[in-house]
Amino acid sequence: MSIEKAYILISVFLFLSGALGVIIRKNLITLLISTELMLNGVNLALASVDRMVGGIEGQVFALFVLAVAASEVAVGLGLIVAIFRLKGYEGTSEIKHLRE
Amino acid sequence: MEWLIFGFLASWAFLSVMGVLFLKSPVHALLSFVSLVLAIAGMFLHLGAELLAGLQLIIYAVAIVVFYVFVITTVPWEKVKRFEGFYKREFFIGFPIMLVVFSIFAYAILTGDFAQVNVAGKDNVKEVGKSLFSTYLFPLEVASVILLTAMIGAVLLGRKEE
Repeated sequence: MSIEKAYILISVFLFLSGALGVIIRKNLITLLISTELMLNGVNLALASVDRMVGGIEGQVFALFVLAVAASEVAVGLGLIVAIFRLKGYEGTSEIKHLRE
Repeated sequence: MEWLIFGFLASWAFLSVMGVLFLKSPVHALLSFVSLVLAIAGMFLHLGAELLAGLQLIIYAVAIVVFYVFVITTVPWEKVKRFEGFYKREFFIGFPIMLVVFSIFAYAILTGDFAQVNVAGKDNVKEVGKSLFSTYLFPLEVASVILLTAMIGAVLLGRKEE
């Protein structure tokens, strides 16, 4: 087993724990932190495949993923603040208008 | 030596992920996320992606975490106290599914073959910068438009209603 494969295993672990965190966390802010975990896992996989192949295109793509992560955090935290100010919600179990 | 570095960084990242998933307070989860970002920057350095490691430190460990800290300071604490921790039932359903999916992925990765070219460039920052500003110039400009759109959207969302 090469070291790149081990890093790809770590990245799969990061992505799956981020998905698990999105499902199980109670607070809206920690839910967004879990999505950041998933994005970090994808970046790690791109960088390790890059070293395996010897190219740089994956790192360029990872830079775009970083830009998308920054904008996603800006919009997501704006949404959380708006939800909290308009409705007073802070937990994921309170937002259930589509379910009822 | 390579596996020693890998083991150190991997166990560090594992502990930080456990902190992000299971710590009660959002501030503690955010702190373990910062620790995870540092571990991943170390992994990028080990993989030879120096520019990505530096940008990871600048964007994640500074900009994004400062966003989170600002938002945490605007939310009153007595509201947050009702919603800390995680759902037990969803955890006990979701964890076995995650284990199964991870073992499928691990089987595919460990038995599969990857392309092996291995002509690594010497100067990573120079190579990435060159291709970012020549081959990928248009996606770079589109990324700037995306950032501008996100900024305007965040301002609109956070604005007080008249």
